Amino acid sequence: MISAKKIEEKIFKILMYISFSLLSIALVSIIAVVFVKGLGALSFKMLFSVPQGGYYLGGEGGILNAILGSIAIGSIATLLSFLYAFCIVFYINVYRFSKSQFSRSVRFFLDILWGIPSIVYGAFGFGIMLIFKIPASLLAGALTLSFVILPIMARTMDETLRMIPFEMKQAAYSLGATRFEISYKVIIKQAFPGLLTAILLAFGRGIGDAASILMTASYTDSLPTSLLRPVATLPLCVFFQLSTPFKEVQERGYAAAFVLTILMLLVSLLARLSFKSFSKYVVK
Amino acid sequence: MGAKQPIKIENLSVSYGNQKVLKSINLEIPEKGITVILGPSGCGKSTLLKCFNRIIELEENVEVEGKLFVDGEDVLHPKTDLIVLRKKMGLLLQKPQVLPMSIYDNVAFGAKIHKNMKKKEADELVEKELRKVNLWDEVKERLKSPADKLSIGQQQRLCLARGLAVEPEIILGDEPTSALDPLSAEVIEKQFLNLKENYTIILVTHMLRQAKRLADFVAFIYLGELVEFNSAAEFFSNPKDERTKRYLSGLIAG
Ligand SMILES: Nc1ncnc2c1ncn2[C@@H]1O[C@H](COP(=O)(O)OP(=O)(O)O)[C@@H](O)[C@H]1O
Ligand SMILES: [Mg+2]
Repeated sequence: MISAKKIEEKIFKILMYISFSLLSIALVSIIAVVFVKGLGALSFKMLFSVPQGGYYLGGEGGILNAILGSIAIGSIATLLSFLYAFCIVFYINVYRFSKSQFSRSVRFFLDILWGIPSIVYGAFGFGIMLIFKIPASLLAGALTLSFVILPIMARTMDETLRMIPFEMKQAAYSLGATRFEISYKVIIKQAFPGLLTAILLAFGRGIGDAASILMTASYTDSLPTSLLRPVATLPLCVFFQLSTPFKEVQERGYAAAFVLTILMLLVSLLARLSFKSFSKYVVK
Repeated sequence: MGAKQPIKIENLSVSYGNQKVLKSINLEIPEKGITVILGPSGCGKSTLLKCFNRIIELEENVEVEGKLFVDGEDVLHPKTDLIVLRKKMGLLLQKPQVLPMSIYDNVAFGAKIHKNMKKKEADELVEKELRKVNLWDEVKERLKSPADKLSIGQQQRLCLARGLAVEPEIILGDEPTSALDPLSAEVIEKQFLNLKENYTIILVTHMLRQAKRLADFVAFIYLGELVEFNSAAEFFSNPKDERTKRYLSGLIAG
């Protein structure tokens, strides 16, 4: 006879398999769809050249402008966001008690920011640019984007820092270390894998966002060469091409979406690979 | 070495929020030998120990009142230089807590904070301290490997070496053997007996038998109060207080 416990276990196992399969199917089918639909337009030329005249009507060229633009705006936004997130998170976890009222309020605000749609950040950034008469540019877009990804970065870093054993801090303080020394000699080392994850998550989110940069970074057919000029990005590149009535151009849209997806996959893969060497000294 | 004069505690009270866990402790800890702070779990032993190097301040909502003199200075005074104070004391926690770095860097960590050292000087220091705790032969081939890879017993000895490397006068131990296997525990106990010639040792324990093995002096704490302080011989053979007698005869759990 099969006991109730065994049946329970079976059911959970089956549920687990179902959810895992759904997840795998989702991932594989997304990649497959964009790949199949964009296959006709995928070529080296597309990856390594910029749009020529009439590109969006089916003319010659490629999307190098958007690939490099996305990498540029994603990296700059991630760097900026890292600077604020790092300060915030070390302040609320090392310089203040992590459970203090102040630290909890900061977390609460970050959670609210997390929930705000990125188009609102875009509108906000655009509003400020209008006031100060700043034209749409790589810098303006990266600044706006840095705020979109700040909550993800800061909260992920925060969770990592909160996982650090209290005894580890006690041990370091008892040796006479200052908060600063503890931060950079102990906490960063212990938290490194988590900090890296936070950075990559934020970069991934940033590189895929379209709404916040639509008005602030605008779009251009040339390569990103100046912080003060508009910049092309992959999400917008996908959007513009998919919204044309031409089959050919739509196909290029899917190809661009495929490139974007592969870029994200590469980033996570690199992260996984580098993880091991960074977590060598982490105390489990 | 060791503290230059007895450590004096005057009217020390500690509360967490509105829970008073230490009630006006008065105690003079001799500068030589091992003083054991004995008492059942939850009586406030760790709290007392954390006052010496003021890591009690890492806890939230804690209030400390009274005076605590080390080398004649009140360390609870707000102007006390915590770095200097903490350099005087090595702390061993219940669970050995290594730092996220190599074995070598664990030992050198504290020392390098207080002093700029050349590589050779640091190498010598690391070897010297690891020898003191009988760990050198076990780890000399893998000084660069993560400290986390050591066994718990080895980790505790590493923590002791790390504490000794800052050249403290006083060693604080908070039940440092309770997470260890019997063999490692014995090794640590032996180190303490060796070290007591040169250091003032304050050891918290709730294990009566450990206290009997190690103590030169015993302070018995019960429910946040200092019940009795005496030399070990006197404490165990001729306890004065009723509560001490009951604890020693096993009538108080703990
Ligand atoms: N950070 C803290 N916040 C609130 N209460 C605490 C804290 N640390 C310890 N306590 C309480 O204070 C009392 C004494 O604790 P402790 O000094 O750790 O005792 P012992 O080391 O003798 O077991 C216990 O009742 C414990 O629950
Ligand atoms: Mg304790």
